[in-house]
Amino acid sequence: MPDRARGSRRGQSEPLRIFGRYAGPATLILSSLAEGPKHGYALTRDIEHFAGVRLAPGTLYEALSRLEGQGLIEAIASDDRRRPYRLTAAGAHALRAHLADQRRVADVGLSRLAQGWDSA
Amino acid sequence: MRTTRSPETQARRVARLLRCYPRSWRHRYGAEFAELLLADLADRPRDLRRTVDVVRSGMAARLTAAGLTDHELPPAEQIRACLGTVGGALAVIASLGVAMLAQLATSWQRASGGPATAAVGTLGMTAAAVILGALCLAAAGPFGWQLVGAARRHGSRIGPSVALVVAGVAVLVLGSLHFANHWPGTGGTGAEHGLVPGGLAAFGWASTLSLSSFWAHPALLARFPAAELGWMAASPVAWTSVAAGLVTMTRRLELPPAVLRYLAGLAAAGTAAAVVFLVGGASWVLARSAGQLGPFRPGLVDGGELLIMALALIVAVRATGGIRRARQAMVAVRRRDADLQPK
Repeated sequence: MPDRARGSRRGQSEPLRIFGRYAGPATLILSSLAEGPKHGYALTRDIEHFAGVRLAPGTLYEALSRLEGQGLIEAIASDDRRRPYRLTAAGAHALRAHLADQRRVADVGLSRLAQGWDSA
Repeated sequence: MRTTRSPETQARRVARLLRCYPRSWRHRYGAEFAELLLADLADRPRDLRRTVDVVRSGMAARLTAAGLTDHELPPAEQIRACLGTVGGALAVIASLGVAMLAQLATSWQRASGGPATAAVGTLGMTAAAVILGALCLAAAGPFGWQLVGAARRHGSRIGPSVALVVAGVAVLVLGSLHFANHWPGTGGTGAEHGLVPGGLAAFGWASTLSLSSFWAHPALLARFPAAELGWMAASPVAWTSVAAGLVTMTRRLELPPAVLRYLAGLAAAGTAAAVVFLVGGASWVLARSAGQLGPFRPGLVDGGELLIMALALIVAVRATGGIRRARQAMVAVRRRDADLQPK
């Protein structure tokens, strides 16, 4: 049922599409939290490690508050002032769908480059 | 070379940066964000981009708290935030509009109508002001009733806002009544053509005495009596106190859905009346003609007031849109809940 699967995927990626210019930081944060719960500083370091991007504190928390508002991540109760966050089931679905969309675009781009530019 | 700073200095820097964010945001994220900032400061003691990023993000959080961004709050909270913003924007329009209207009302008393643009402006602004006043009265009842109930339940939460409004209104009323007696206009006597009651126009003139082009002429200003100069400095503080208190109260009061819907309707009507008010003001100020002499002649200060009112109107319209979207979201949630009910 390819059509149904595609429709479902579009529906799931909607939460990240509405993030507009915050979709980039949101994707990085969700990808980092896919490994396990992390607090703000651990997120910054992990994202810097795997993506080569250091999210500034304001941008990081702007995206965190939006993701939390959409129910894609949740804070874990902690005695520490550094409160950790974890991915929710909705967040995992949204991330999977969003990354699949991005992979499809990347595949198309790479394939066209291979056809038109690799021989040049 | 890495500079070392004492923990106290770093903590002060963090506290300064945190002040960019609204209180509600600090309450939720302040402690953990402060920890992140401290860690980031340890990594990179000097970073202008971090400061700019935090200031920008803090401003965005303030706009969100005011219901003015695409990132919306839970529906009831969004409506309260937007109602507060519409109220604040209308208060700005009202305070500046009263000053314009007082000038036009003075001229009208002397020479009914005047140039066509001034007549259109005066009539349009007066009609809109009457509607805005009626809407304020219509909002005051249910809002005041909820306020009394909330004060009984948790007075300390809204007590400071109530105190701000009461103090501001007291200063404005007492001061305006005192200075209205020195009004150079009709003051309720000697009017040849009545449109706005003289006493009311005098009160409006006195309450907005600070909105004056005299500020640009210090030599003339120095000739003013000290009491009048003091009032020109104090009255804007009183206006600000009233507006800030009302906005804070609206945001903090947990209003029932029916009252929220009622106030949302009034806010939309108030914004529409403000459009009429501004069209009236613009028709007078922008269509300045050679025939407009004396007090009918708009000055730079009127242009400045019109510009600020236009900006306030844009804010009010955007917040009204936020209310509409939040109400639609509330209806959608109610429908979803109804569908989930066992039949």
